[in-house]
This record gives sequence, C-alpha cells and structure tokens, in this order.
Amino acid sequence: MNDVRAMVWKEVAELLGSRRFLWVFMAAVLGMGVLPALSFARQGERAIAVVGVLFLVLYVLFAAVIVVANTAPDLVLHERVGHTLEYLLTTPLSVRAIFGAKIAVAAFVGYVASMLSLGVQLVAVAMLSGKGLHWLFLAQADGRVIAFGVTAGLSLYVAVVGTFVALRIGEQRAAYMVTVFSVGLLIVPFIAGWLHLHLTVNWVSHAALWLGVIAVGLAALGLRIFQREMLVLYLQE
Amino acid sequence: MDEEAIVCRGVSRRFGTRWAISGLDLSVPRGHVFGFLGPNGAGKTTMVRMLIGMLRPTTGSVRVLGRDPVAQGDEVRALCGVMLDNVGLYERLSAYQNLLFAARVARLSPKEQRQRVDEALRRVDLWERRYDRVSGFSKGMRQKLGLARALIHDPELLILDEPTAGLDPANIVRVRELLVSLAEESGRTIFLSTHLLDEAQRVCDRVAIIQQGRLLVVGEPNKLGTEGIPTVRLTLTGMEGGEEKALALPEGIELAPLGGREWRARMRDLADTESLVKALVHAGIGVRAVIPEAVSLEEEYLRLVGGNNP
Repeated sequence: MNDVRAMVWKEVAELLGSRRFLWVFMAAVLGMGVLPALSFARQGERAIAVVGVLFLVLYVLFAAVIVVANTAPDLVLHERVGHTLEYLLTTPLSVRAIFGAKIAVAAFVGYVASMLSLGVQLVAVAMLSGKGLHWLFLAQADGRVIAFGVTAGLSLYVAVVGTFVALRIGEQRAAYMVTVFSVGLLIVPFIAGWLHLHLTVNWVSHAALWLGVIAVGLAALGLRIFQREMLVLYLQE
Repeated sequence: MDEEAIVCRGVSRRFGTRWAISGLDLSVPRGHVFGFLGPNGAGKTTMVRMLIGMLRPTTGSVRVLGRDPVAQGDEVRALCGVMLDNVGLYERLSAYQNLLFAARVARLSPKEQRQRVDEALRRVDLWERRYDRVSGFSKGMRQKLGLARALIHDPELLILDEPTAGLDPANIVRVRELLVSLAEESGRTIFLSTHLLDEAQRVCDRVAIIQQGRLLVVGEPNKLGTEGIPTVRLTLTGMEGGEEKALALPEGIELAPLGGREWRARMRDLADTESLVKALVHAGIGVRAVIPEAVSLEEEYLRLVGGNNP
C-alpha cells in the first residue's frame, strides 16, 4: 500500500506541474458546466423538459471522459518518452502498484472534474434562470445515480483502457482517440439491440455497477498481460 | 554471506533470432568496482537488465547478492541502486521531489527520507538548485541527480549503465570524481557498464570486455595486456612496415608496427622473446632494444574488439 501511496503522490505532483493537464481540466469543467446552462437558458425550461432534463447529465459524463481520456494515456506516455518508466521497473515497485496508482489517479481526477462541472452547471443554471439554485437532474433518483454512480464507473473504465492503450500506442493523440473510441464501444450493445436503455434507478444502478466490474476485469487482465519483462521489451521497440 | 556480489553461469539471452548475450560466465567479488566494457550493441544493457530481473535469461543462471533476480526480483532491486543510460528523471518535478520519490519507493521512513535526500543533494552539489524543476537542468546536473537517486537508499550494489554518456569533458571529470569517491567507500560493489576505457581504467579494479554478447577477457585493467598476452616493444633497424608478413617468425608471435623504428610483438609467453630476437637477427634485421611492456586497456580493448566493432 505504501508503494501505491508513493506512486499516487508522484502522479499528483506531476499532474499539478503539467500546464496541459490544467488546461484540459479547466476546459472540461467550465465547458461541460456552462454549455448545458446556456442551452437551458436559450430554450427555456419547457424545452428542456421535453428533451428530458436527464439529457443534461450527459455533460457531466462528457467532462469525466474528456479529462480521463487525456490524463490516463498522458500518465503513461510521459513516462515512456522521459524514460522514467524504465526507471520505475528498476525499483522494487510492483507493476501492479505502478499502473494501479496511475489508473486510480486518472479515474479520480476525471470524477473530480465531472463533479466540478456539475457544480458549475447548477450555479450557471441558477444564475441564468434567476430562480435560485436549480437542482436539474439531481432532483430525480435516476439522475443522481447517473451523475454520481455511472460517472464513477465510466471514469474507472476510461482510466483502465487509456492506461493500457498508452502502453501499446506511443503517441498521445492516437492513444486519446482509441480511448474515446472505447467509450463508443459501450453503445454497441444498445445499437445492436442486445441491451435496452431503461432510465430507472434499478437499471442505471446496475449499469454503474457493471461498468465498474468491466473496468476491474480489464485492469486485472491488463496487469496479467503487461508483466515487467514485456514492458521492457515494449520500451526496447 | 556470499563472497561474490554477482555470479553468472552460462547466461544467454535471445531476442527473436539474435543472441544479445551468449554463454556468459562472470563473477564480481563484493566490494570491487567492476567495469563491464564493450562497444555499442555488445549486450551491456541487456546484461544490466538481467542483473536486476527486468529480463529473464534465455539459458543459464544469474545470482545477485546471493539472490535470483527472476524469482526474487523485488529483493534484488531493493538492494541495488541502478542508473540506466537514459537517466529517466521526472522533468515536471524538482530535484528534491525526484529524490523524495526515490526515497519513498525505497521504503525509507519519513525521517530517513528527508535526511537522505538532503545528504544526497549536498553530495552532488545540487543543494542550491533543489527546488528547481529538472526540465531546466543541464545534462551533467541530470547525471549527478541520477547518481544521487541510485544512492538514496545506500545500496549494497550500485549498477551504472554508461553514467558519463553524452557529457562534456568537464562534466565527465565531475561525474568520474563522484564515482571514484563512491569506489573508495568500503563495502559497496559497483558494476560499471561503459564503453569509455579511460573511465574504466581510472575507476575499476577489474574489467570484463564483451563483444557481440560474448565475454572476451576478464582481468585487472592495468594488467590485461601483460597478463593476458605478453607483449614486448622493439626498436628495429633495416625493416619497413609490411615486411613483417614475409618474416618467418616463431609460431604464436605477432609483430605490428608502431611507427618509425618502433614495433610491438605479442606472444604466448615472454620466454618466446629470445626466439623472436634470434629470428629477427637471422633475417638480417638490427635489434636495438627489447622492452617488456604493459599494454594499456585501450590498446587491449581495440585489439580485441576494434576490428570487429559493429
């Protein structure tokens, strides 16, 4: 556990020293917070009610995806480019601690970004509608589960995919695209008709749980595949 | 406790169809500074990686500080300080943060962490720059910081892969001085992988030369030439360069021009000097002087690998 703590400390210190990360984080929080509020103000409460206020929760999910899809590959690619990943492999740190910490930090900052964007949404809508604090989708139980639960599951899923994708793809933009594409893959079962969306508390709770299970499963698989020697061989390529 | 810090027996490592290391036998006694010499691509980095369990040998066995780096990799890595050819420092972090992270990874107590980091920064003369980001550091400062990081947990075995690569002469001298001071500290074993012969000769008390994954010779750097292959320097008259090929020299003696009237002869035994002189006199060549000589490590190295350097 001390190893993971040491890694988390290092990752956070590095992220705070990265101007690019701070820009992406700010842009995602403000963009995903203000855009829906502007749409809300322009179309009015009635229009929003027709589309469904739950539509606005998607912006919270987007904020998480944008931040995590940028951060997770960056945490790995930065180490590859700077030859620090090879240094880590010379230390007693386990591969599990190295990548577990990266996944945890990427998922956490994504979740924090989405929560902050949610806060910005609430404040912006309240200011634009002039009716005091507006609770939007948080007034509904399924909205709360999506905002807090599905966002957490999705952040973890994107963090896992982004981390392991970056180990095989050595370029930031390509790694980002593949990571975002992995989010798109989640829609396939719905398009194919294997799954049907039900906006009930029970259904979205299960969805959040399954996202988490899939993420943990992928992480376990990734850690099994990417052993120390395989990582060294990738770095040699 | 084992007498040997490193023991390799029949170690080979293959990448695809290429053998990077082939049947290598090596022993590094504890407390020695051991130079591992070879041209680029000789397999030095592969060997370093196998020593700390980053790569498994395809065949053979490696023991480091009495442990198997494959089965007990974490233990071996905890006991070793490693500096690779690409130092790999965190550019967004300060020098202090880089060392603090290394101290945490080495599982030192919080009090020890601060104490060791402070000591290490002072030792490599980076105390004044401790809060500066590494991205603004020169190559020399980075190498020194890398060395400080490898030493942060006071390791029993220090493994350095090309520690002065890419440095200007002034920084080479500074890093080399650091290595010499480390070597003088009792008890620590240093495994220095390098292609800089001068460095090995100044710092190491034993060296091994490898080429294309094969061990060519092991010995003390200043005695490799005379102990491995006895050599005499001759001053000859009445012979031009190129004529030595036509001479009927005793078996096992090689004669090579050094320029002017100076020649060098290598032989299996210094006792062969007499038969060499007789053969030269018999061929009508004047022998003015015969001096047994110690061949420098550089000359020996070039003789062994020079012509076949890939």
